[in-house]
Amino acid sequence: MKLAGLLFGIAFGFLIALGGLNEYEVIHNMLLLEDFQPYLIMGSAVAVAAPIVWQLERRGWTTPFAGPISPGRSRVERHHVTGSAIFGTGWAVAGTCPAPALAMTGSGALLGLVVVGGLFAGLMARDYAEGRSGPGLADLDLGMRTPSEVGAET
Amino acid sequence: MDLLPDRVAWYVVGPLIGLLVAGMFALANKPLGASGAYVQTIAAIRKRASEPWRAWYFAGILIGAVGASALQGKLQLRTGYELMLDLWSLPTTVLVLAIGGVVMGYGARMAGGCTSGHGLCGTSARSVASFTATATFMSVAIGVTFALHWLTGGQL
Repeated sequence: MKLAGLLFGIAFGFLIALGGLNEYEVIHNMLLLEDFQPYLIMGSAVAVAAPIVWQLERRGWTTPFAGPISPGRSRVERHHVTGSAIFGTGWAVAGTCPAPALAMTGSGALLGLVVVGGLFAGLMARDYAEGRSGPGLADLDLGMRTPSEVGAET
Repeated sequence: MDLLPDRVAWYVVGPLIGLLVAGMFALANKPLGASGAYVQTIAAIRKRASEPWRAWYFAGILIGAVGASALQGKLQLRTGYELMLDLWSLPTTVLVLAIGGVVMGYGARMAGGCTSGHGLCGTSARSVASFTATATFMSVAIGVTFALHWLTGGQL
């Protein structure tokens, strides 16, 4: 699983940089509605992934690592909306989001490190705010609030 | 080296990302979320990771980006925020970016995911929460970007 994680990461980082999504100006122009390539990348990714996931579920695919396929889903709760509004604000200011910020740094953009550092601090700050610091951090796969939420919340 | 273009077309990059998303669901029922990778990387450093593979995923993103940038002939030290530095001094830009990062991290943790976790994976798994989260952060980010554009007299 560690090797899979590494390989998937390498592929994802490679594709982000290939699409130019690790450039501040690309994301900034996307959010100014002047560059639609990033929307098309996201949209076509979902358009490819969704039918595959759906078919795997329909055919009762068994995953090699975690038993029968069952992507977690969650009902909408207030924290999804509030958190996303906060996230969207930071996204607009930094002109990059968590994976592209890493890819930006990887391509040699030094200020990407500032964003990455901020992300670490912000993620930890929320954990402390929820009173789940210390040993609880071990359980903090994003969204492991209840087992049924696992899929959708990371 | 300049073996790859600066920006490969969306219809190549997007579907390949889609295969990764579907692939990780098929392999282990897991969404490929980047903010979860940050959380697990901190946890791994503290030797408390519940999903250590996500720390490897974190490292992989960096490695993959280094590789792609090298092939694009773009691997070079730079600030990455030249547009912002035309407007503000370096300390101000650093402060703005640090605040942006913290706000983003706080929000992603609260929302249970970010652009990749909710925007790509949750939506691919047809999770209502992820569609809601994605619609929310997209519209807020667009709104805030337009506000920044207006406040800086069109410079950003």
